Amino acid sequence: MNAGDDSPRSIADLISTVSASRLTTFQQCRLKFYFRYVLGLQRPKTSALHVGGAVHETLKYWNKARWRNESATLKQLHDAYLGAWGEAAASNGEVEEQKTGWRLLETYFRESPIKPDEKPEAVEVSVEADLAKHGLPKLVGIIDLVRPPGIIVDFKTSGQTPVPEKVAHQTDTQTSAYGVLYRECTGKKETSIELHHLVKLKNPKLVVTALEPATDLQKTRLFKIIESYVNGLNRSDFIPSPGLQCASCEFFSECRAWS
Amino acid sequence: MAIVFEAAYSKKLGLPNFSSHSYVVSIRTELTDINQVQEESRKLYKMLQEAVDKEIQAVGFMPDATSYGMKDGHEQQQRNGSAGGDDWQCTDKQKGLILRIVEENNLDKNYVEDLAKELFGHGVKSLNRLSASGLIDELFDRFPRKDKGNGQRGKYQRREQSRR
Repeated sequence: MNAGDDSPRSIADLISTVSASRLTTFQQCRLKFYFRYVLGLQRPKTSALHVGGAVHETLKYWNKARWRNESATLKQLHDAYLGAWGEAAASNGEVEEQKTGWRLLETYFRESPIKPDEKPEAVEVSVEADLAKHGLPKLVGIIDLVRPPGIIVDFKTSGQTPVPEKVAHQTDTQTSAYGVLYRECTGKKETSIELHHLVKLKNPKLVVTALEPATDLQKTRLFKIIESYVNGLNRSDFIPSPGLQCASCEFFSECRAWS
Repeated sequence: MAIVFEAAYSKKLGLPNFSSHSYVVSIRTELTDINQVQEESRKLYKMLQEAVDKEIQAVGFMPDATSYGMKDGHEQQQRNGSAGGDDWQCTDKQKGLILRIVEENNLDKNYVEDLAKELFGHGVKSLNRLSASGLIDELFDRFPRKDKGNGQRGKYQRREQSRR
């Protein structure tokens, strides 16, 4: 079983377009970026990633149903969840983890700020923004959900209750990218950006962090980060960034052997 | 014989939001003695630099980074999407993809038009790029390509979906 369909990619390919997830990985650790995207090393999914994937798929099913003017019963949602769980990792059937994911979803459906009859503007939609006029590559991405009127939503599963101020900073690259993408594709400014955190506690909870639309400063920061990404890749600047985050890095062994 | 002496001074300064502006002043004069070059160069450099520095402080027009280029770009996309006088608001690429799905599946164009109206309240040609992307996803869900399974969208989508 592998973590996805990553395969080695050339530097030219990786700088022809850029996404928030690639930028974020590059910001976290350039060597991790190198292992993941340039070499395309594949690793088994952690249980946390597996739960997150199945939860995302189920939320997509729920949102798509409303988008199609249909309603999804709890039974249908549970079936969708089990299907996503099985598809994502047939050999990784830890029962407790599976229950954890479903409890998160039950909590979400019960406490979600989204009403059952609210029709989304977009669900899991692929978007791109041509940044050539800024001398930068095309920005691409997938937005989980757009609620009316122009509220960008990103779903996150985590093991800890998020602190709003920290979350705003930690997700800055991603939310700024979504703002740029949304504006490019609609010609309108987003109303706000909501992060829906499904927190895996003994008693799961939902925390919604509502952020203001991306500011000029955020956009400038994003463009500078993209510029740094392109320059870094052109220089093959793939150095490690040792720190606390290494404890959970899937490329720990490769990193220790790096010279 | 007169000696023609030319001097130019230019300065380029960065501005917020990836902007910059520059200004150059040049001068041509005649010298009677080549020994005057060094002294004349010193004087002209100082004079031209002062002139440039004085003028370049006026920043002039500065675009609003939240909207500059976006409206134009959006309208440009609309123009790019035009074909035979019919105005598509999505990109040429999206338009081509929608038409290809229609053709490959022998779909009635009215079917796609009705689907767009049902999902977005607008006809296909009126869909912006966000909605057009959603329509393409829906069409691929309903009419998956036999040769490529469900992997019909751009390769970045498949990669990024596995790396949230």
